[in-house]
Amino acid sequence: MALLAAVGALFGGAGGERQPEALLHMTQADWQVEDASGFSAPPLTQDSTALPDTWEHVELPLALPIALLRQAKDGAAAGATRVTWIKLSARDLPPTSGPLALYGVRVKTDGTIAVYANGHLVHRAQQQGPLWNSTRTPLWVVLENNADGTPLNEILLRLEHTQSAQVALSSLWLGPPEALRGSYRLREWLQQELPAMLSAAFMAVGVFALFVWFKRQHEMGYLLFFNLAATSFLRGLHFYVGLPVANDWFAWLTVNALFWLVMVVHFFLRQLHGRPLKWLTYGVVGITTTIAVLTMPNLAILRNTPQVTPLIYSVAALMGAAVCLVGGVSAWRRSNEGRLVAAGIGVCTLLGVTDWLLQNNFISPEAWYLGAYTNAVAFSVFGALMYRRYVDAIAEVEDLNASLAQRLQTREAELEDSHRRLREVERRQTISDERQRLMQDMHDGLGSSLISAIRSVEVGGMSDTKVSQILKSCLDDLKLTLDSLEPVEADLLLLLATLRYRLEPRLEGTGVSLQWEVQELPDLPWLDPSSALHILRIVQESIANILRHTRATEIRVGTALSASGVQVTIEDNGHGFDVDKALGNASASGRGLQNQRRRAQAIKGTVTWESRATGTRFVLWLPLERAVQPA
Amino acid sequence: MQRARTEQDLHPIHVVIVEDDPCFSDALSKVVREAPDMRLAGMASTRADGLAMLQGPPADVLLVDLGLPDGSGIDIIRAAAQQWPSCSIMVSTNFGDEMHVMQSIEAGAAGYLLKDSSPAKTVDEIRSLASGGSPISPLIARQVLERFRQGVSGSSTATSAQAAPAGSESTPLSAREKEVLDLITKGFTAHEIAKLMQLSHFTVRTFVRRIYTKLKVTSKAEAIYEARTQGILAD
Repeated sequence: MALLAAVGALFGGAGGERQPEALLHMTQADWQVEDASGFSAPPLTQDSTALPDTWEHVELPLALPIALLRQAKDGAAAGATRVTWIKLSARDLPPTSGPLALYGVRVKTDGTIAVYANGHLVHRAQQQGPLWNSTRTPLWVVLENNADGTPLNEILLRLEHTQSAQVALSSLWLGPPEALRGSYRLREWLQQELPAMLSAAFMAVGVFALFVWFKRQHEMGYLLFFNLAATSFLRGLHFYVGLPVANDWFAWLTVNALFWLVMVVHFFLRQLHGRPLKWLTYGVVGITTTIAVLTMPNLAILRNTPQVTPLIYSVAALMGAAVCLVGGVSAWRRSNEGRLVAAGIGVCTLLGVTDWLLQNNFISPEAWYLGAYTNAVAFSVFGALMYRRYVDAIAEVEDLNASLAQRLQTREAELEDSHRRLREVERRQTISDERQRLMQDMHDGLGSSLISAIRSVEVGGMSDTKVSQILKSCLDDLKLTLDSLEPVEADLLLLLATLRYRLEPRLEGTGVSLQWEVQELPDLPWLDPSSALHILRIVQESIANILRHTRATEIRVGTALSASGVQVTIEDNGHGFDVDKALGNASASGRGLQNQRRRAQAIKGTVTWESRATGTRFVLWLPLERAVQPA
Repeated sequence: MQRARTEQDLHPIHVVIVEDDPCFSDALSKVVREAPDMRLAGMASTRADGLAMLQGPPADVLLVDLGLPDGSGIDIIRAAAQQWPSCSIMVSTNFGDEMHVMQSIEAGAAGYLLKDSSPAKTVDEIRSLASGGSPISPLIARQVLERFRQGVSGSSTATSAQAAPAGSESTPLSAREKEVLDLITKGFTAHEIAKLMQLSHFTVRTFVRRIYTKLKVTSKAEAIYEARTQGILAD
């Protein structure tokens, strides 16, 4: 906005620098008022001497005092008009050859404006109905050189207005157009074009907010923002469109938009500071509605005329001030944004007040027209809000992402930690299981064998060969224990192969031949070290029994696949034994058989013996699948 | 077998023992001395002594214990593989467990001896090793198969790029070698496998030796590959 203002200043500055001496600043004039009956078209020529000789001398700028209340009262009986004549002398104009321009900051009236140069009509503004935009439209008339070459003597202004209204006129400049155009363009730019641009921009952002609201209907702020933009656009519409405000509804809209604007700002503020402010809300809505009804063209309770509107506007100014003050106080400790909006509406109200003062001749008609900048202020304030929201939202998203990443990291660490602890527990469990298994195994086999060997050596009741044999079998036990710890990967044949490899040296020199008649077997997925050791011990015990008790000369080891499991068969050609009897007694061999049975049960398998005088057939059956791990 | 022994009589097998347990060392040296076709060429009980002995004339069979008082026997195996390329290295172990045996084979050992083997068995193992055979257990066989299965996919680039110039040893297992290993994991003995595959049982053991050599080369190629990827070795 500052940039746009700077552009305007550049316009003006560029023109101002080239101001030659040929300029005439007219601050003295003659003035008279004539009653008339209704507006009429200005004649093409008007000789000032033909007018009544009731001229009064006045100084420009001219701002006649207005009696607002009386004016409003009289205005109701419309129809009567007046014509104000202002006569300016151009005699002091330095002689120039080129065309001349007449420039004035402001000619304020509610009727037509006609400009005569040397008695000839050279400019007209607003040919029918009341004039609305005189406050912000600078006067600019280019006077062509007279055909007959007579110098310009006199400028005559004919200002029509309603009977009780008063005109105002700034001082006028006369001079070459290029010398005055800068000042004129600057006024036009800052009073009309720039506010129009800002208003349009505000409207565009408002439409954007409306579309945001369509998607996020729970956020009323966006809808309010759109309403704000829309009403302020409507409010400013008559400043910028070329159409004269002749339509009564359009006039109604223009006036009421101001109230709506204040009301929307009030609701906005309420949202920001979060206080209901019941009475103020009732008041604001009440006044707005009342004004809307009163000024409705078809009801015509209050005629919306330039005589009445200044009073209506003063109501709007009071309402704006109230909203600003109460909103500001409410938002003071609660919302920065609320304070900003309250300050904004405060500024807008002040701008509106200067506008009003200007309109009603309380301040010089040469003052700047600031009312048009209420839009700009509103746009800036709400633009700042939107900007903050937007920037905050981005920061929030970034924070959220960062905290999300952090949470994820924490979670991962936690998970890793719990996983580690779980592994630790598992590891301990495994170690404990393994220790228990080995302890059990050592206790039954190796430990007791060693103890009996030690006792025999100490007592001396056993031959060295016997002791050596016991120790060798201890070593075999140990080897098998170690082998059971090797991964056999579900391969029962590999386990049996290992057993054979370990036992083969013991068979040497016993005269017993071992027939290996194994077949491929499917994998046994449950074959863990614990189960492997059970199987090794079962088969080992079986072969040891044969060697110890049966006087066999041949052992056949075979494997086969049965319906739902695998079989390991160990047959010998020894003299056999009474299975039931052996199982029933508590002798070493009986305990051995019971051990085999117990171990088989532990791995969900079975053992069976078929013994005849010609040999014994031992079968270890193992399941293919095993659902539950044995304890 | 008979023919081989006659040859060995003319050229006795020179055996060197590196063992810190005096009991086992005595028993072992006794076995070697008593074998008619063997000669005990040297004994050491520490890693330092063992390495020093490698400066001397090469033996036919080197028996090494892994747990020496001043370091690991693996170092001796590695040095011997370098300095006595013709010597068959044998690691003596209590259990013949996968971890120790595989480590030794990758360092250059051709076989292993279980410490509780009978004297007769010990002599047989030394003879078999000296004549180019190697022992294997089902678990080791499974492990070797596993290594080669990984090696084909895992270090094939290293094998082709770096180890190929070293010779054909780095090629993966042949079908017959694989069959031998497979039968061993099923529990068949060398004799049974020889019968099944119509080979001499000695050939089965030389197959195993060849497999061990390939394993060593593969593991070396893997080490080089590892070193290169880690930037220790320049290309």
